[in-house]
Amino acid sequence: MATATLERSRPRAGGPSGSAWPRRRRRGGWLLLLAPIVAFDVLFFLTPLGKLVASSFTGGAYARVLADPLVTRSLVNTLTIALTSTVVTVVLGYVIALVLWRSGTVMRVILFAVVLLPFWTGILVKNFAWAVLLQDNGLVNDFLQNIGLTDAPIGLLHNRFAVIVGMVHCLLPYAVFPIFSSLTAIDGRLALAARSLGAGEVSVFRRITLPLSTPGISAAGLLVFIISTGFFITPVVMGGPGDMMIANEIDYYARQLTDFSGAAALAVILTVLVSVIAAVYQRVLKAGGHHETL
Amino acid sequence: MKRSRKTLQPGRQRKLLSLLSLPVFAFLVVPTLIVVPVALNNSRYITFPPGGVSLAAVQGFFADQAWTSALSASMQAAGIAVVLGTVFGASAALGLHGRKFPGQQAVVGLVLAPMIVPTVVLALAFYQFFISVGLVGSIIPIGLAHAVIATPYVYLTTRASLAGLNPALVRSAQSLGAGMLSVFRHVHLPVILPGLISGALFAFSVSIDETVMALFMQSPGATTLPVKMFTDIQFNLTPKIAVSSALLVTVATIGLLIQVVYVLKRRSTARMMPLAV
Repeated sequence: MATATLERSRPRAGGPSGSAWPRRRRRGGWLLLLAPIVAFDVLFFLTPLGKLVASSFTGGAYARVLADPLVTRSLVNTLTIALTSTVVTVVLGYVIALVLWRSGTVMRVILFAVVLLPFWTGILVKNFAWAVLLQDNGLVNDFLQNIGLTDAPIGLLHNRFAVIVGMVHCLLPYAVFPIFSSLTAIDGRLALAARSLGAGEVSVFRRITLPLSTPGISAAGLLVFIISTGFFITPVVMGGPGDMMIANEIDYYARQLTDFSGAAALAVILTVLVSVIAAVYQRVLKAGGHHETL
Repeated sequence: MKRSRKTLQPGRQRKLLSLLSLPVFAFLVVPTLIVVPVALNNSRYITFPPGGVSLAAVQGFFADQAWTSALSASMQAAGIAVVLGTVFGASAALGLHGRKFPGQQAVVGLVLAPMIVPTVVLALAFYQFFISVGLVGSIIPIGLAHAVIATPYVYLTTRASLAGLNPALVRSAQSLGAGMLSVFRHVHLPVILPGLISGALFAFSVSIDETVMALFMQSPGATTLPVKMFTDIQFNLTPKIAVSSALLVTVATIGLLIQVVYVLKRRSTARMMPLAV
């Protein structure tokens, strides 16, 4: 079939004007290019996910997991930890994006590299570094004792504070990018006009920069929230027993209880939660007239 | 436009903002960088700041068979992920470039979807799936799983470089009698090469840092570096974990430097935003 198509389109493609040149001529070609990825994703992405969803509906898994008080607690933990980290991340991310936006080209590249270094580094490396810093004889405790704030080391690790610190550190780059792109979209002449009318820096920020960057803020907020709901490593490495999130519960069901249908039900619950939030995210982006960020 | 904004910006506020943002930038970068001195610490315990410099921990790491086999497992998984991810991601970008057909959005959605599904959900799905087909027990399922999540990154970076392709080049090559392979080699390849390289780097970085899937599918011969770190970290913070971290930070820094050089050559910081390519 592909050959026939090629045959038919050849005279057209050879023609001098030929506006339909590539589409016609290489019809067989692009199908060949798309076939491997579609086959790969169907086999190794959709099939495993399909099996997961199917197994979640066996043996009354949903009723079982939702009756588990540990699950309810981890769901509450997930929402509160994700929400707290999101707020902190967006505020700090805004500061970074603002500085990036206001720097010159070379400085901007350097600062971008600073933002991207943790982005390129694995979550485990970052959490390990925080564990080293926050442990009882770590740098932060030494510093607090040296300046006389405490006499004995205070427990900074294995609690919710540590989880949020670790998560914010991982999430920050994700907040910076959307905020930065919404800042660069602002027409510089607006600030110029405002200043010429006597507005100070604070009022330019409050009345021009901040309102015009809200699409970036909401995009960043939702993106960060979605990512933060799936955290698994940080609660284990930096949290205490009371800070386990839904992902840890999935792991517990799958690898400790070997209750696969229960784990699958939890995974579906998490995915539905994230998808609903993602749908809202898309809608907010559209409503804000924000360009594509993915 | 940027220039005009710069001259407008009163210096004092800018300095104040930079000063205020300094702790935030430190927060971002300091924890990542301390692992290198920690790894070179001469003490048997993890301390920061380190007492003195020594390579003892590094030697200990490379003398420990558990850690070296973890390193080799990581490299194998990353190899599979880079090769498959680059081939599939790039072919998807080429196949979708400049075309419109029914169901195209569905294909784009399918290609990007592995980015959106939470890793732990995918980890569970892969775990169940590879157990059911009897593949768990080697590095192959981990490599395949990493290839699935690496592909969208290569697709995005390749798509970004294809955006700069002048269709007239393809047309002239074809009118001069170039076949499909020849057009790919002489027209597409030079254009997508930067995207391919940065996509491959992403794929490598995604695989080498991925922990959750590798943890679910671990087996005695297939324990990757992050999984070994994750298991050890829960008991004790040892210098060997620090060496492993320093190794991963070095890899990250090299990847980042390549990206920075590329961006400085192109003069476009937009390319530095992996999620906005």
